Amino acid sequence: MNINANYLAVVFNSTIRMMTPILFVGLGSALCNRVFIFNIGLEGTMLTGAFAAIVANYYTGSIFISLLAAMISAMIVSWIAGIFMVKFKGAMLVVGVSINMLISGLTTFLMQIIFGVKGAYVSTDLVPLHKIDVSMLKQWPILQTMFGSLTYLDFFAFILAIILYFFLFRTVTGFRMRSVGINKVAAQSLGINADRLQIGTVAFSGLLSGIGGCLLTMGGVTMFAQNITAGRGYIAMAAATLGAAHPLGVVAGSAFFGFAQSMANMLQNSSISSQLTMALPYLATILALAIYNFAQIRRHAL
Amino acid sequence: MRNQSNDVILRMENIVKCYGSLIANDNVSLHLNRGEILAVIGENGAGKTTLMKVLYGLEHPDKGDIYLNEKKIQIHNAAQAIANGIGMVQQHFMLFDPFTVTENIVYGKEPKKGLFFDLKKANQTISELSRKFDLPLNPTTKIQGMPVGLRQRVEILKVLYQNADIIVFDEPTAVLTPQEVHELLNTMKRLAEAGKSIIIVTHKLNEVMEVADRAMVMRLGKHVAYRNIADTSIEELSFLMVGRHLVETEIPEISPGKDILRITDLCLTRDGAVPILDHISIHVNAGEIVGIAGVSGNGQSDLVQCIFGLQKADSGQILVNGKNVFNCPVKEVRHSGMAMIPEDRFIWGSAAQASIAETAIMGHYEKPSFSKKGFLNIRTIREFAGKLVKEFSVKADSIAQKTSSLSGGNAQKLIVAREIRQNTPILIACEPTRGIDIGAIQFVHDCLVEKRSEGAAVLLVSSELSEILKLSDRIYVIYEGKINGEFKRGNVSEEELGLLMVGSKKL
Repeated sequence: MNINANYLAVVFNSTIRMMTPILFVGLGSALCNRVFIFNIGLEGTMLTGAFAAIVANYYTGSIFISLLAAMISAMIVSWIAGIFMVKFKGAMLVVGVSINMLISGLTTFLMQIIFGVKGAYVSTDLVPLHKIDVSMLKQWPILQTMFGSLTYLDFFAFILAIILYFFLFRTVTGFRMRSVGINKVAAQSLGINADRLQIGTVAFSGLLSGIGGCLLTMGGVTMFAQNITAGRGYIAMAAATLGAAHPLGVVAGSAFFGFAQSMANMLQNSSISSQLTMALPYLATILALAIYNFAQIRRHAL
Repeated sequence: MRNQSNDVILRMENIVKCYGSLIANDNVSLHLNRGEILAVIGENGAGKTTLMKVLYGLEHPDKGDIYLNEKKIQIHNAAQAIANGIGMVQQHFMLFDPFTVTENIVYGKEPKKGLFFDLKKANQTISELSRKFDLPLNPTTKIQGMPVGLRQRVEILKVLYQNADIIVFDEPTAVLTPQEVHELLNTMKRLAEAGKSIIIVTHKLNEVMEVADRAMVMRLGKHVAYRNIADTSIEELSFLMVGRHLVETEIPEISPGKDILRITDLCLTRDGAVPILDHISIHVNAGEIVGIAGVSGNGQSDLVQCIFGLQKADSGQILVNGKNVFNCPVKEVRHSGMAMIPEDRFIWGSAAQASIAETAIMGHYEKPSFSKKGFLNIRTIREFAGKLVKEFSVKADSIAQKTSSLSGGNAQKLIVAREIRQNTPILIACEPTRGIDIGAIQFVHDCLVEKRSEGAAVLLVSSELSEILKLSDRIYVIYEGKINGEFKRGNVSEEELGLLMVGSKKL
């Protein structure tokens, strides 16, 4: 393996592709953190989006409808979870885990019914997300490698982070959202419908996780496998934590995990045992969270 | 006297509000004239807070009507109350600590510029508002780290920003220093002169006498009387409130014995740098009540926690009858002969879900009369709890009911009973009367004095200066973790203490 500019460009490109699904979900998780909701159900809603995207694509052949289905289905599931968490004051962890288990089983079951396959469904008939044409960069092959085979959604993820930054810190709605996270009782006493704001945020985070799921199944290879999200929802929550629930911080957090994932993929071709390389992103998650929390404790101690 | 018209701005007619079988408001009527200050007074549980909650839309009455300017209105939530020009300065401040003064004030009615929050304009508006009502504040300061008096000022400006004509103050002076109280009362008078109509909910009668035009007295969910302040006295109001004449606690003269509790050079720093307690040296003699006066947050909580072993101090000495209990575990400290009435009855003093009987033995369950070989002696515990409840007149249906179902005053009585009946030579009483009503305050004071007469050493920590002045044989003033003055009974005035409490040097 020789390390050169081209190799780095490939790593860069792969990092972007790996990180954007996490980024969408991570942004959703950050919004939830801001309104003081610990939404562990994002793993399940991401899976919902991933599955709905494939099914819609299978029946309609339209990537647009596919994306829409992913967003709406994930939003509905998340909205229900939000109602349970906020309105009925269910333990957030329990509601989230229930959603995750329910969706995991349901998608596996429906996959057998709809596609008649077990484990994974792959088809070339499916229409993937549009890739952005980078042929205008052909004078710079390195740039072409760096930004090649990316979809519009990959780019949109970064734009969305910036939009959400302005939304949270410059708009009145964002201001109120943050306030609910800081002191819900005070917000309510000032006539803000905090419950609705929290449920709305959870629903919207579901919508974002649906986009992330769609990107996962409709981005590179068009396929759905049992539990294809493989913990990316949890990793996205870690990215949101690392990014201190700040949209731009979440970009950095997601980039870290995207990089870990892409290294794991690359190292599969090396002599290191694949069990170890596959564990890499998860090890990175634990390590990053441990270091982050340790640094936090140190900072508070000073 | 203010130029108040008899122009009625607000009427609440025959308000009825029940919680289950409890009637919190029983046909209560109230009217408020434009530009007047009306005091709503009564003991805890008299229904005054409920009535205000109804007015502010936080509770829905079962019966009754509200008229604003003689027009019937419906108030279903706080937003509607605000829209009708009714504002409330709540007892527990509703502020967002990480936000600035401006952000807190404009909350819910934020100026916008296109899609965005127009913070610049908001800051300007708040500057003007603060000047107009002579309530100086820096709009861009964060709430975090602000003293209580200023926080309250933010709350007042918030109500003014919402354009309230009627302003309700719910127990506004409970947490203030005497100077801050004085300032607040002046602010209220100024606001009334500016045409605002004010309701103050309180049980502090001297403040009522100073600031109010009229008082409405509530007792057991009913309104029992209206009085013009000019034609009444503290004695009459307190009689109307309690329904009986209160006898002042008598404090017999006794000469104190030897020092039972002696603390020398107690130091505590936070995170290795910020001093919380700075070489505190105090002592309490037998048969003496020693008061610690201070604005809350100046180290008194930490001091008590260090004495009691709830927190580890850095250095120093804590002698109980000559035995050092510095940094000993709580159990050992208790065994050495200390009992404590903690400052928060629900956080430190009891477990909400525990029964009254269980609360009555908390911290003492290992005593042989209550348990043997790890098994509780249920019968003795019940008898003991029943005795406490009776002797200290804790209002409860049965000793099996949950502590959380007791009102604040009754829970406090139970905890006071528990700590006093342990017959320890030392009692530490932290805010023993916070938020309880006159009758119960009187009772707790009597208990402390009785304890003193029995020859115990009582350390009293209270942010209620009148309480410190009334009970203490000696007073220490604490400011930023240092002792800023020591006085014998009768050698210091409330004003002097107030100044020392905010850091002024020796007088």
